[in-house]
Amino acid sequence: MAETQHTVKSYEEELKNLNSNIVKMGSACEEALGKAIVAITTRNADHAEEVIKDDEKIDKFESLIEQQVVNLIALRQPMAIDLRETVTALKMSSDLERIGDLAKNISKRSLLLNETLPKKLVDCLIRLSSSVQKQLKTTLDSYLERSASMAIDVWEGDEKIDDLTNECMQEVVKYLKETEKNLSDGTHLLFVTKNIERIGDHTTNVAEQIYFLVKGEYLEGDRPKGSEPIVTGEK
Amino acid sequence: MIKIKAKDVDVFYGKKQALYNISLDIEENQVTALIGPSGCGKSTFLRCLNRMNDVIDICNVKGEILINDFNINDKSCDVVRLREKIGMVFQKPNPFPKTLYENVSYGPTIHGMAQSKQEMDEIVETSLKKAALWEEVKDRLHEPGTGLSGGQQQRLCIARAISVRPEVILMDEPCSALDPIATAQIEELIDELKKEHTIIIVTHSMAQAARVSQNTGFFHLGHLIEHGPTDKIFKNPDNTKTQDYITGRFG
Repeated sequence: MAETQHTVKSYEEELKNLNSNIVKMGSACEEALGKAIVAITTRNADHAEEVIKDDEKIDKFESLIEQQVVNLIALRQPMAIDLRETVTALKMSSDLERIGDLAKNISKRSLLLNETLPKKLVDCLIRLSSSVQKQLKTTLDSYLERSASMAIDVWEGDEKIDDLTNECMQEVVKYLKETEKNLSDGTHLLFVTKNIERIGDHTTNVAEQIYFLVKGEYLEGDRPKGSEPIVTGEK
Repeated sequence: MIKIKAKDVDVFYGKKQALYNISLDIEENQVTALIGPSGCGKSTFLRCLNRMNDVIDICNVKGEILINDFNINDKSCDVVRLREKIGMVFQKPNPFPKTLYENVSYGPTIHGMAQSKQEMDEIVETSLKKAALWEEVKDRLHEPGTGLSGGQQQRLCIARAISVRPEVILMDEPCSALDPIATAQIEELIDELKKEHTIIIVTHSMAQAARVSQNTGFFHLGHLIEHGPTDKIFKNPDNTKTQDYITGRFG
């Protein structure tokens, strides 16, 4: 937020409040993602249940933020940095809400897995999810610090997520091919992998919005992209 | 295209300096809004553009103001001709205590713009139409202008200003005494008028500046702090002072 304060204190408070709700919503998403990953990699049902239950909180943040943004636009007519704060909050909240949903979906699928997963596959999922978690953390930090350079780091890091997703997909396909009884778990794992990758994409969206918030201009050029997923396992 | 070019303009009221080194290009057929807190010099600058400051004895203007590449501060400048080219509309509607017709025909009469009654009728009708007032007053042209509502009076003043076909119209807070509907009518009018005129508007309403102008200049303590496309100024100004002012953070 800008260093100097608004003459109208209640306006200042409303913007601070919006800001703090985004931060809280972001931490809730970070926590949901962390737990969902533990749920899938260690088959921790408690964590899975918590994520499923807590998704409601994330959804509530989204509608609260939306109301706050509509009120600010209607009643305060924000300009310049305030306008960017307001618009960015609205867009960020919808991406964060999707992250929450995807974490919930991962958790639900973790409860449906039957078999013990091969270590190589689990390691691969952990590598992918750690990268995505790191991206999300950096993004939320860049929001707190209003750091455009951190937002760019995230934006550029999306390429690595694509590559790791591809690796995971190949592992899952290998697992699927092993025996027919892997079919159900394998299918869930395909979705889980894709969901983690989608979380990475939403995180990158958020990073783009933070860049706009700080700089007042849009990141130009195409988002760096990694290799296309190879779902057949044949190159 | 640049219509007005202000170069290093300083203005003094006696010993007190009101404007410092203002350089600003005003684009033709666009609306330029001048914003800033009270006493920042925006009206003083506006009044430089048709030498209205001449009427204040202690006022001293330095620097160049080029309109169509001619320096209006030059001794050879005919101020009466200048004000024919540069019309002005003020904060409070100030129709002459005469009929509607006479209000609009006054300028064209003194500038000898009509050769016959019929020509004058045409000028009056066209001006009132351009000021979006014709339909409301065409049956009462010989009633006093002061009998109109505030918003109508202001449109009458705009009709009076455009009757002499000025190239530039200066507006000093033209809507501050008007209700939102009359304000919207004037803003719509400004949009129309810019097709044929260059408009410079001083306003305290940031929202109005954002709505009506294509370029905005921010004045503070006699300095032009920032000037640029209106959307840039209101979305992402370069200067912190501009941002503080338009977001209501001025300490």
